[in-house]
Amino acid sequence: MSANAGSLADLQRAFQAFMLAGDTGFATKVRSGGRASREIGLAVYRDGYALRLIEALEIDYPGLMAMAGPADFELMARAFIAAHPSRHPSVRWFGRHLAAFLAATPPFSATPAAAEMARFEWALGEAFDAADTIPIDADALMSLASDSWPGLMLDPVPSFRRLTLAYAIPQAWAVREQAPPGELGVDPADRPTPWAIWRADETSTYRSLAPDEAALLDALAAGGTFLDMVGAVAPHTGEDEAPARTATTLRLFVEDGMIARFRLSD
Amino acid sequence: MPTMLLPDDRFGLGLRTDHYEEIADGGARVGWFEALSENYMVEDGGPLRWLDRLRRDTPMALHGVSISIGSVDPLDGRYLDDLARLVDRVEPMWVSDHLCFTALDGVQMHDLLPLPYTEEALNHLVPRIQTVQDRLKRRLVLENVSSYIAYDASEMTEWHFLAELAQRADCELLLDVNNVHVSAFNHGWNPLDFLAAIPTDRVRQFHLAGHSHNGTHIVDTHDHPVADEVWTLYRAAVERFGPVPTMIERDARIPPYEELLAELEIARRLASEETPA
Repeated sequence: MSANAGSLADLQRAFQAFMLAGDTGFATKVRSGGRASREIGLAVYRDGYALRLIEALEIDYPGLMAMAGPADFELMARAFIAAHPSRHPSVRWFGRHLAAFLAATPPFSATPAAAEMARFEWALGEAFDAADTIPIDADALMSLASDSWPGLMLDPVPSFRRLTLAYAIPQAWAVREQAPPGELGVDPADRPTPWAIWRADETSTYRSLAPDEAALLDALAAGGTFLDMVGAVAPHTGEDEAPARTATTLRLFVEDGMIARFRLSD
Repeated sequence: MPTMLLPDDRFGLGLRTDHYEEIADGGARVGWFEALSENYMVEDGGPLRWLDRLRRDTPMALHGVSISIGSVDPLDGRYLDDLARLVDRVEPMWVSDHLCFTALDGVQMHDLLPLPYTEEALNHLVPRIQTVQDRLKRRLVLENVSSYIAYDASEMTEWHFLAELAQRADCELLLDVNNVHVSAFNHGWNPLDFLAAIPTDRVRQFHLAGHSHNGTHIVDTHDHPVADEVWTLYRAAVERFGPVPTMIERDARIPPYEELLAELEIARRLASEETPA
C-alpha cells in the first residue's frame, strides 16, 4: 500500500467531501495513469452528483421549472442541494423540503409564488403515492338512520391533502406546458384560497373549496363528528342552514371519492 | 441458501414507467423484468399498483441502487426492512445491488462510488453481505460498477477482488458487460482479463446497456443502444459463462418498448450462436 493511501473510512470521507464541497484532498488518493485522466474521472463524479439531484427536482417540479426557466431553476436547485444534502436512499424524496427552503431563503423568498408552487407540486406527488383505498359511496352514507348522524365521523382517503394558496397556483400549473420555459406567470388569487388535493382512481386531482367547505373538511380531518362539522359550517351559512349544507357537502365529497370510511362515535 | 428460480425465457428488460401501459395492453413479450427496488419501496400507491399488476404475468428480479454495501456507515436497518417487505411481495427470482458505496454519515450521494480493492475492504464487506443474505433469506447478487477513478490504495485488480469476495461472502455476481467495457476503457486494461478471472458458477445475471463515449473516457449513461464493442464482449461472456439470464437497461432517452424488444433480439441471436446446443 502506498504512503498516501488511507483506511476505507478515510477514503470514503475524502470522496464525499470532494463530491459535496469540491474538497481537493481526495485527488491525492486517486491513481493517475489510466486512459482517462485523474481530473476527468473526478469531474465525472462531481458533475454527476449535482446533475442527478437537479434532474430529480425537475421531475417533481415541472411547474416551478416553467416559472423559473432552466438557468434560474438550476441556480435554485444548486442552492437547495448545498443546503439540504439527500438523506433518503430513494432520490424520490430528495425534494421534499424544497417549498420550505424557497419560503425561507433569499433571494427565492422574494417570490412567494415559487414556494407555493413547490408546496402544490409536492402535495400532488404525495397524493399519487399515497396508500390505496376504496372510497365509500353515497348510498352507504345516505342509508344511515337519522339518529346516527350527530355522531357520524368520516376519514378522508389517505391521499387527501389540504392547502391554502395566496396565488392562483393550480390554474398556472394546469397550463405549465403551454408557456415557454421561464415565462409561466402566476397571479395572486383574489383572496387566500383553500384547495383539496386527492387521488381519484389512478390520477391526482384537486379542486378549490368554498370557505364553508374548507371549514367542514378541516373539522372532518381533525376527527370531528357531524355536529362538530355543522358547528364549523355555521359561521358561514347561519345556524339554520348549517345542518343541511353540511349533509349536502359531505355527499359531494363522498361522490368525489374523498372519503375512505365512516364510523359512529361512542 | 435456497436455489433461485430461473425464467423459462432468460432474456428480460428493465421495467420502466414509460412502458407500463404498453406492457399491460400488449403483454410483456420477454421472459422477465428487472424492477428497480427503490421505486417500489413505498407504503402503497401508484408504483405498487403497477408492480402488482405486471408481476401477475411476468417473473421479476429486484435490482437496487442504495443498499450501500461497501459504506463504512452501519447497514440501514429500515432500508433492509423495506426491501425485505418488497421481496415478500414480489417473490423475485433474485435480488441484486451494486458493489460500491452510495451513502456516508447518512448523506446519500445517489451514485455508485467504487471501493478500493483491498483486504480491508474485503473484510468489511463479507460480514455485511452475510447480514443482508440472512435478512433476505437468499444470496445477494452484486454488480460490478463502471468506474472513472482508481485508488492508490488498491492492492489487487477489480476482477480478483470480485472473485475473492464472491467466494468469501458466498454471494453471487451480476456481470454488467457494459460496465466491464467502460471501466476497461477508462483504466486501460483488457476486459477479457476481467471475464477470465470471474468464477463461472457465481454469475447469476448479465446486464447490457448503452454508454456515452466522450473520446477520452466513457460514461455509463444507459441512454443509448448497446455499443458494438459491448456486443462483442457479451459474446465472450456467453462463451465463458453459458446461458446466463440477460437483460438490457435503459434509464434515459427511453425508446418505445418495441425498440428495446428488437435490441433484445440481438442478445438472443448472439447468445444462441455462442451457447453450445
